Amino acid sequence: MSKLLTIPSSMEEIEKTKNIVDGFIIGIENLSVNTNMCISDLNDLKKINKDIFISINKNMHNSDLKKIEEILDELDNLNIKGVLYYDIAVLSLYKKKKHKYELVWYQEHATTNYDTINYWNSFGVNYAYISSDISMEEINLITKKSKSKLMITMFGYLPMFVSKRHIVKNYLDYFNLKDNSKLNYIEKENNIYPIIDKKEGTIVYSSNILNGIKEVVNLNVDYIVLNSFDINLDKFITIIKYFKNVTKENVKEYNENINKKFTNIDEGFLNKKTIYKVKK
Amino acid sequence: MKKVELLSPAGDLERLKVALMYGADAVYIGGPMLNLRANAINFTFDEIKEGVKFAHSLKKKVYVTVNILLHNEEISLVKDYVKKIEKCGVDAVIVSDPAVIKIVIDNTKLDVHVSTQSSTTNIETVKFFKEIGATRVVLARECTKKEIQEIIDNVDIEIETFIHGAMCAGYSGRCVMSNFLTNRDANRGGCSQICRWDFDLLDKNKKQIKGKKPFTFCSKDLSMLRYLSDMIDMGITSFKIEGRMRSLYYIATVVSIYRKAIDEYYKTGKITDIENKEKVLRRCANRDSVPQFFNDIYDSTCSYYNGREEISNQDFLGIVLDYNKETKIATIEERNYIKKGDIVEIFGPNHEIITYTFNKIIDEDGNIIDVVRHPKQIVKIKIDEFVENYDLIRIKS
Repeated sequence: MSKLLTIPSSMEEIEKTKNIVDGFIIGIENLSVNTNMCISDLNDLKKINKDIFISINKNMHNSDLKKIEEILDELDNLNIKGVLYYDIAVLSLYKKKKHKYELVWYQEHATTNYDTINYWNSFGVNYAYISSDISMEEINLITKKSKSKLMITMFGYLPMFVSKRHIVKNYLDYFNLKDNSKLNYIEKENNIYPIIDKKEGTIVYSSNILNGIKEVVNLNVDYIVLNSFDINLDKFITIIKYFKNVTKENVKEYNENINKKFTNIDEGFLNKKTIYKVKK
Repeated sequence: MKKVELLSPAGDLERLKVALMYGADAVYIGGPMLNLRANAINFTFDEIKEGVKFAHSLKKKVYVTVNILLHNEEISLVKDYVKKIEKCGVDAVIVSDPAVIKIVIDNTKLDVHVSTQSSTTNIETVKFFKEIGATRVVLARECTKKEIQEIIDNVDIEIETFIHGAMCAGYSGRCVMSNFLTNRDANRGGCSQICRWDFDLLDKNKKQIKGKKPFTFCSKDLSMLRYLSDMIDMGITSFKIEGRMRSLYYIATVVSIYRKAIDEYYKTGKITDIENKEKVLRRCANRDSVPQFFNDIYDSTCSYYNGREEISNQDFLGIVLDYNKETKIATIEERNYIKKGDIVEIFGPNHEIITYTFNKIIDEDGNIIDVVRHPKQIVKIKIDEFVENYDLIRIKS
């Protein structure tokens, strides 16, 4: 049975959901992207008696390296389960000392095959976070052939772009426009994509919310992840409960109930393979 | 000091030969599979062999990209594929997935270059790639001058950086907008360049924020000509030009400009006539270009809000197929509308630019004509100065 993790958006959300989920993925100020909540005081984590994964997943530049080393050391004093990383620098710095927590390979669009997961496992990376860009057929083969423990997002908006550039700010500056939104959207052909321009750069999410509950009942992974980004908290708590209690018997009903709550919801790439060669 | 390598893209055998003849020290190409330009023509194994033979005859090198992110179905193909590439005689493979690096190292003697798709931006990651056997790292275009220098000073490995061409809006490998908007996988060579699309920008209440032009992710191109001397002094191993899908004219123009600039710097300690060189580069790509992250400036001056208004110019008039030294008649294949009276520049790998006015144009039937209208039409034009096969003709701007 998979455990349930969420990517929470606030301490309030953590308080309200900590009794129904198994843990949380939380970011660190200035070192994380695609996490909804970044903490500046690591001691806040001591209050949460759950499986805590810390995401240190931005692209790291030389000036970040010292800070990463410090944070990796500090995390030893807290009872965390693991650190999600994107940049290999985090792995290299982690391996310099013996730490009390595990590493999770979280190059979100690269975790697309079991061989590379096993490659990282040979470096002592015991968890991998499966890409949301691949099909169930591919995911199932990964679950059969991977040596690592696995996690995968099964609900929420999906990250689809990370840039060092301040793309919203640049547009506003160029045309002398004013806007103080922390969260913007871009629209194309009636599809609306959340876009966030913050200190670390620009992040864009999918226009549709992934609902993978139909697949969860047969999925053999260690952690199912639900992302609360830009979703009403009450609705999200209901969603967590559906995922917590789903069985083969009620999955059809739960799936329909979740789908009714949103107009922009689909199964992502779970049942739709991407193509890459458009001509022969 | 070892001279910096000038590395050019080549989408096919003809462009490979042109790139090397015009001054590239090495070319990078895509093989039959597993590269990030799935929709380019790419090379067959026989073409790779021929390209390698040509390059090695000039004491130059060929690198093959094997830089897609693997899916399960491709795992079993990699080993045989890289062995076949090795048999073609290539000098290195450009790889993104570390698991592929291991397969290459375990099964071949090929040098391994880490692709920019890995978005390598720091000393620790470069050290890691060195430890697992890579011989070169292509740094992310997001690196600043300071960061590149710190990496060179701290890790003894070949460093390659981009000097010219189109830019991704995001970190390479972290953009899958193409997957979501067009179902084409960006990390497997299917990128549909969503970053060049127009969008409406909305505020937190989903109300439109309207500028004079639509919102876009689009970035200006990269051009490092002005900083080339700094980059040579920094000790970078290889200067890379972007664009395996670029035209023969683009490759010949860009390579020859950078070749001349590099050679001039090694010979005289300076690069002259930069403005004129930049003008030629700008007209060739027909897009604005800036140094991007090198100076740690990536503000709105790097963004491109032209609403996709750029149209390809008609500068490239033709290619010289043959020249008769006695009659001084050049055989030319037309690429864009040529007319009597055109003042043109003829440039080639073996001579300085020739400025010339076309006075007499003769078609294949021997008729004197005033205009050459048909694509790839063969004409004969008298040119007093010596020109040769693969010289290119552009309109003088």
